[in-house]
This record gives sequence, structure tokens and C-alpha cells, in this order.
Amino acid sequence: MTVKPFQLLCPRELSDALATLEKHSGNIRVLAGGTDLLPSMRQRLFEPEYVLDIRQLREIQGIRLTEQGIEIGAFTTLHAIENSDELKRSYPLLVEAAKTVASPVIRNMATIGGNVCLDTRCLWYNQSLSWRKSCGFCIKKDGNICHVAPGGTKCWAAFSADTPPALLCLQAEIEIRNASSSRRVTLEKFYTGEGDNYRRLQPDELVTHIFLPRGSALYGGAYRKLRIRGSIDYPLAAVAVALKRKNGDFEDLRIAITAVNPAPLLVAGVQSLVNRAMTRERMAEEIAELAARTAKPLTTSALTPEYRREIIRVFTKRAVLEAAAD
Amino acid sequence: MTKQLVALRVNRRLHELAIESSWLLLDTLREQLQLTGSKRGCDDSSCGACTVLVDGIPMLACTLLAASCEGREITTIEGVTEHGALAAIQKAYGDWGGAQCGFCTPGFIMTVKHLLATTPKPSEEKIREALSSNLCRCTGYSQMYEAIKAAVEAEQKGLAGDEKNAPSRT
Ligand SMILES: Cc1cc2nc3c(=O)[nH]c(=O)nc-3n(C[C@H](O)[C@H](O)[C@H](O)COP(=O)(O)OP(=O)(O)OC[C@H]3O[C@@H](n4cnc5c(N)ncnc54)[C@H](O)[C@@H]3O)c2cc1C
Ligand code: FES
Ligand code: FES
Repeated sequence: MTVKPFQLLCPRELSDALATLEKHSGNIRVLAGGTDLLPSMRQRLFEPEYVLDIRQLREIQGIRLTEQGIEIGAFTTLHAIENSDELKRSYPLLVEAAKTVASPVIRNMATIGGNVCLDTRCLWYNQSLSWRKSCGFCIKKDGNICHVAPGGTKCWAAFSADTPPALLCLQAEIEIRNASSSRRVTLEKFYTGEGDNYRRLQPDELVTHIFLPRGSALYGGAYRKLRIRGSIDYPLAAVAVALKRKNGDFEDLRIAITAVNPAPLLVAGVQSLVNRAMTRERMAEEIAELAARTAKPLTTSALTPEYRREIIRVFTKRAVLEAAAD
Repeated sequence: MTKQLVALRVNRRLHELAIESSWLLLDTLREQLQLTGSKRGCDDSSCGACTVLVDGIPMLACTLLAASCEGREITTIEGVTEHGALAAIQKAYGDWGGAQCGFCTPGFIMTVKHLLATTPKPSEEKIREALSSNLCRCTGYSQMYEAIKAAVEAEQKGLAGDEKNAPSRT
């Protein structure tokens, strides 16, 4: 199956790329590694007239140490991230999460910007045109019904990327630019929580950098991911845990989940449970309960919502205990 | 849509092709250059049967635009043979039953070629990690694992192509 013809634009300068996005705004898609966009275009989920290939933009490539922490260009491959000595040393949680994405070959192509921007997924959406047509188009693409929540008017497609929960725990910020301005937002604010309109990104905007603050360096952590195959597969429920310790006690604990809601989410209220007078096991269980309550999985994938929610509980407990044991 | 002229370097030869900018590298290789060794095994970028090397790095030809590859060196399974003879890893795949129906094999060979180029003595874990990028519905992977170990050993002993090291066949 091929893609619908479009015109490819491959600028070398960021300013040209931004001007191009502005000029064709609404009728152009950004192509990074293409590992999400091209399969989707084959399924006719996107049929833009123009495609902007950003692989030649040097300004948004590579990992740089700055005074405030680390700056990662949006067009940095996940392969580069998992092999970066600096990241392995200072932000091991991000490396661990990146390593679980798809497969080694896909990670040679896939970028972190694309991972952060990854389209939300659903059994009824990530299908060929003929499949979608015969089942009835859904809210997210071409239709007005939801197969997951019948009668509903809201899209529940699940955000299913692996690095965002780690990035949320590390309090990452992203830089977004258009031809005339630049803004910096916390990653948390980037996602809307809606399945169809899942990210706050205007059609003329490009994600250019991801920043990891120095304050989050050297946090320990763990990432636990549920998937059907051991490789080449998206998460169906996953949890990231970042932990900073002081004299054996927990000083700061952050938890985020992915693949069970239309956005990756930080679990609220975790810190208030930390270091209360109870066993570590008990504390991990209470935190796991918070995480499971934050998860609102629906029938967007091959595993049942009940199972995915339970797995969030189990994986959270295990990940907290594992991070604590390090 | 109008075609554009794109210069593609494939297996050390430069080709000037008139293609549409929406064409996938896999279709361009197979249909324009008649290099049909790279296979299309799936429709969702998951199988790895189309794996080629781009500047020495394994990538999925079904998930790359041909026009994005201008100026880069592409190697397909057709470019793996050495001076007309099978490369050690190709031979080992044959000897050890690493290929059964063979549809996945060109993709696997490209992945493994990169593994051996970057890690001359790969650990068991490294081999298994490399094999995790491609799907095979026939072999169960163990034979490939054996083939890779045999190719590594043959390479070290300078015995590439030595029949004596191959398992006996019944
Ligand atoms: C078989 C298979 C398995 C996969 N498994 C996983 C998995 O386990 N975990 C996981 O997280 N992902 C998985 N993926 C999805 C994908 O490979 C990754 O999420 C990858 O990081 C996407 O990055 P990319 O550069 O290829 O994105 P692209 O496909 O190029 O882009 C993805 C989206 O983001 C937009 N975009 C990209 N970069 C920018 C930017 N800088 N600014 C604005 N918009 C941008 C694009 O327009 C597009 O909408 C899988 C994909 C496949 C094919
Ligand atoms: S044809 Fe299956 S991954 Fe390319
Ligand atoms: S040999 Fe048949 S798919 Fe691998």
C-alpha cells in the first residue's frame, strides 16, 4: 500500500522550515523519523499536500550539556539517547524508557520529538482505510461515533509513547517555535487529555528542543512496560518511577503512567504518602492504588481495560520497590 | 504529481531516477531498480523484511521516502555478496537453517551485517537484541542464533566458507 502523493520539502535551515510551516499551515505534516507518520499515511489517516522533512536541520539534533541541565534536539534519535554517556549517568530513567521503544532498528530512525508528539492510538483508528470504512469511521478520523464508548462524543484513543512518562517524572520542558516566536512549556502542559486533539501544538509550530533540568539529574528510577510481544511493540500500560533519596529515606518520588489515558499523566498526591510511618511495602501499595485510580483505560487495545488497570497497580508497586532497592 | 530527479547511491552505484517525492524507498528499490531482494512483509512497519543499510545503519525501507535518501549510501541484500561470492553470514544462514521460507532473510542479513560490523565478537545478549528487530514466522530464531555464532567463529579463524564447520545434514 502506498501513500497518497504529496510534495516533499527538505529545508536545511530551521528558519526556512518554520517559514514553510507557516506558508502551508494546515496542509502540511512534519516528518521526523517517520516511524509513526508514514505507517499512518499508508493507512490514509493523514493525506497532506505537503510533507516537511526535518532531518537536515542541524540546530535540532544532538544532546548538549548546559548550565541548566541537558538540552536534547527534537530530531535526536532514540538510538542516540540510549547510547549517550551523559544521559546514562545523569538521567538513567529516560535511557531505560527509550530502550523499550519498538525495536533497535526502529530506534535508529525514531526521534525523541516524534515520540513526544506521537499520535494517540486505538484499535478502531490505527487500521487501513478499507477496515475503517467497513466498521464505520470514528470521531478521531472522518466519523462521528466512538466504538470504544458507544454514544460518547469524546475520543478516548490512548497516548502510547514510552519516553513521555519518564520525561514527566524528570520535569522536562519543551521548546516550541513558529516563524515569529518561541515558547517553552512544561511537558505536562503540552498534552490536552483529549484523544483526538491530544497536543497543544499549532499547525505552524515545530517542537525544537527538550530540556531536562539539572535538579532532576541523578534521580534513580525504574520503567515497567506491558506489551504483547517482547519487542517491536507499543506499551499497553506502563509506569515510570523517579526517586531521589536522602540518607536512606525518600526525599522525592515522582510517578507517571502512559498508554492508559489519552495523555501521559503524572500521578498526583504521591509525595504526601512518602516517609509516613508505615512499611515500605505498604507505602508502595498505597502509591500503586493512586496510580491505578489515575489510569482510565478503555477498550482501545487488544488487552482488557480491567487487566491494564490492574497491571498499572502491580507495576507501580514493583517499580517503587525496585527503585527503593537500588 | 510531477516527478523529480533524485540521485540515489545504491550498492556503491549512483542512479539518477525520476520519481515522485511520495515514493517509499522500498517501492523505488523494487520497482525502479529491480532490486527485489528487500521484501515487503507487513503493512505497519513491524516486520523488518525490508531492512536496508542507510549510511551503514539498518533502517526500514518501507518507512523511508526515497527522496529523503538522496546523498546517502544505501546497501541492500544485493550489495552484501563479496566479489560475487556469498558473505560468511549468508553462507552460515544457509548451512545452519537460518532461512526456511526465506522471506525474512534479506532483512535479517542486513540487521546482522550491521551487528557484526559494529561488534565483531557479539555476546549472546547482543545477538538476541539484534535479532529482536525482525520477525520470522518459520525458524524460531535459534538456527539464526547458531548461524551468527558460526559466522563469528569462522571469521575469527579465517575459515569463512569452510564446509567442515557446518552441521551435518540428513
Ligand atoms: C512497529 C512499531 C512499534 C512501535 N513501538 C513503539 C513503542 O513501543 N513505544 C513508542 O513510544 N513508540 C513506538 N512506536 C512509534 C514510533 O516509532 C515512536 O514513537 C517514535 O519515537 C516516533 O518518532 P518519529 O521520529 O519516527 O516520528 P514521526 O513518525 O516522524 O512523527 C510522529 C508525529 O509527530 C510529529 N512530529 C515529529 N517530530 C515533530 C517535531 N519536532 N515538531 C512537531 N511535530 C513533530 C509528526 O508530524 C507526526 O505527527 C512504534 C512504531 C512502530 C512502527
Ligand atoms: S515491510 Fe514490514 S517493516 Fe518494512
Ligand atoms: S524463514 Fe520464513 S519467515 Fe523467516
